[in-house]
Amino acid sequence: MSKMPDPTLVADVGAYAAAVDGWCATRPPALAAAVRPIPDYATRVEVMSDLLGALFDAGWSRYGWPETLGGLGGSILHRGAMWQTLAAHGVASMAVFEHLEVLLPTLAALGPTDFVADALPAFLSGRERWAQGFSEPDAGSDLAALRTRAVLDGDAYRITGRKIWTSWAKYGTWCLVLARTGTTESRHRGLTAFVVDLRHPGVEVRAIEQANGTDELAEVTFDDVPVPATRIVGDLDGGWKVAMHILSHERGTYAWFRQCFMYRDLIGHVADGPAVSDRAVGDALCDIAAVAATSGEGLRLHASGATLGPRATITKLLLCEAERSIQDAVLAGNADLALAPLDDTTALLRQEYLFSRIVTVYGGSQQMQLETIAKQLLELP
Amino acid sequence: MSEPRSRDHDEFLAAARAAVAGSTGADALDALGWWDLLGMLDDPDARAATFALFRAHGRELGDTPALGALAAAPYFATDDGTRTVMAFSRPATGGGFAHTLLGTPVTERILVDTGAAAPVLVEAAEVTLTPVAVPGRLTIHAVTVAEGAGIPVTPADGLEAARARSAFLARVAAAYEILGAAEGAFALAIDHANGRVQFGQPIGTFQAVRHLLAWAVTDTRAVESVTDVARDLDVAAPPRFDEIVKALAGRNGRRACERSLQVLGAIGFTAELDHHHFHSRVLALDAVAGTSAELATALGAWVRAERPDPRIAPAVLSA
Ligand SMILES: Cc1cc2nc3c(=O)[nH]c(=O)nc-3n(C[C@H](O)[C@H](O)[C@H](O)COP(=O)(O)OP(=O)(O)OC[C@H]3O[C@@H](n4cnc5c(N)ncnc54)[C@H](O)[C@@H]3O)c2cc1C
Repeated sequence: MSKMPDPTLVADVGAYAAAVDGWCATRPPALAAAVRPIPDYATRVEVMSDLLGALFDAGWSRYGWPETLGGLGGSILHRGAMWQTLAAHGVASMAVFEHLEVLLPTLAALGPTDFVADALPAFLSGRERWAQGFSEPDAGSDLAALRTRAVLDGDAYRITGRKIWTSWAKYGTWCLVLARTGTTESRHRGLTAFVVDLRHPGVEVRAIEQANGTDELAEVTFDDVPVPATRIVGDLDGGWKVAMHILSHERGTYAWFRQCFMYRDLIGHVADGPAVSDRAVGDALCDIAAVAATSGEGLRLHASGATLGPRATITKLLLCEAERSIQDAVLAGNADLALAPLDDTTALLRQEYLFSRIVTVYGGSQQMQLETIAKQLLELP
Repeated sequence: MSEPRSRDHDEFLAAARAAVAGSTGADALDALGWWDLLGMLDDPDARAATFALFRAHGRELGDTPALGALAAAPYFATDDGTRTVMAFSRPATGGGFAHTLLGTPVTERILVDTGAAAPVLVEAAEVTLTPVAVPGRLTIHAVTVAEGAGIPVTPADGLEAARARSAFLARVAAAYEILGAAEGAFALAIDHANGRVQFGQPIGTFQAVRHLLAWAVTDTRAVESVTDVARDLDVAAPPRFDEIVKALAGRNGRRACERSLQVLGAIGFTAELDHHHFHSRVLALDAVAGTSAELATALGAWVRAERPDPRIAPAVLSA
């Protein structure tokens, strides 16, 4: 934590990327462990947490975050360069740490400073992990219908309700919960975002096994769980704005981090398959370029204090298209993933292939994204 | 790119659209002082203005020889004041090469480079120009060059460098023109979605129609973002990025036109509406400097054989 920022690396993303690359080239044990195929999710979480710890100790993961919050300065471009470099060295995904680029930018921007200054380094170093509690059994696409309630009691809010599809809650320390502080009729205006400690009595996490065999999803129930008023992110009744801030990252800039790993899948698992045409490989390469270019613009805008706005939705659609075209090619070249995923590599391919069939649902279903574009960008009647 | 720069880009585009819509042939290019830009392509703003013309060209169905002029520029060290335009060559069905000249010809000199032999410069009087009648409001001529005609061209920076630069510029420019034309087709579809009433309401209220349009804008946005990256990074772009840009533009440009056509219904498939011009323009440009099918196939073979690294580095994004 005492490490001082290197001004050259803060100012020059290229120099920073080269420095991270140099570190990776020394093959630190935590990196060597993380590049092996690990189908067992719990083991993957452990190994990735170790890698995050090593990146934190070396200082690399602290670039891209403000010094006031435990970072070493720089912008999202540093983070984009770090994960791109890790992918180039064989890391297959952000496994369980996706929220570093989905939730954390919002926590850093809108969260209570004192709390975030502790939580951010704990997350970056892999000691703590996060989950996002938006969806409920009766509030999926219609998020504003959510019913989990937060009631003020002294200087704390008491939260009661049920969240579902809460990714990584089983492995999480904290959950950002969107709860109703207004009346049910207040819809999106009466929501507030709270940081809830998943270890607190009254919180129950039930992991849900996914179709691809991992236990990333969970149902989380909150039974009168007290949360200090100081753990509100954004404003009271300002939860919708917080949710939109998160979704702009989940749909826009997160695509950058995801695409870092796609090219590796393409050359690693498609290029040798005789049943895949050159044309399909070339088309997939184009799809990845489209994601890199649109999300790269998102990175650049965020680095300069602007955002993609509703155009982030388009980036998400392009990300889904790229996932599908690459994974279609992976399936075409690896029939074993359907029939006999016996070795670790094929077992992981199966997980990834199946997951690519549901990417059009998380972060808002594709139909909702298309509606957002129709309404907000195209202003159709 | 900071916001002020993107404002400059909007201004370049608006000026180019006005010029291209108002006049044809060399006049439009003269009005913009466009020829002068060809000697300044190392300058980011000059490059942006040069490429903006092509998006405008597609959007307004302009008819100038700009694409051939841009492709010819790298073969000549300095601008000697002669307006040379390149004919685009592709293997002909019956063997040999077919050459095509795009836009109202304004030139006395045509550059022909098949890639199979040394490039030659031929006088307009030495060739036969046969008009090709396809929609798209783009004058197209098939060029017949007599055996042994023309004088060989020796680019100052070497032939391979000139060819690579020419291909890069032509592909990125053609991608911008495809983008503009696809945007033109899309604009017609948007108008139709807002105005056409069926079942007592504008068809733009039906989700099936809304989603077609949302996909169409996604198609064009993908093209816009990769072409902008190519324009901004220029020689620092990842290897073969011009081919990626052109392959994506051809594929997505066609998709966007097809989705727009579906929204337009029957009227879109007639000469009563400009959609077919935009669509044919996209098809014509997809066929120049490598079709999307040819390029995607070649890129796939390249990825397989060489496992290259085509990443866009965040460091260059911030430049
Ligand atoms: C892998 C994964 C991870 C997730 N992680 C999280 C997480 O960490 N935190 C969290 O809060 N949530 C998470 N989610 C939940 C996700 O946000 C929801 O699944 C999503 O918003 C859709 O809600 P639903 O599943 O209830 O589907 P529904 O809303 O019931 O929709 C079902 C189908 O109906 C369509 N539909 C619904 N309404 C309309 C309409 N008006 N017009 C047209 N079509 C419509 C949808 O497009 C969809 O195809 C995750 C989901 C997945 C798949």
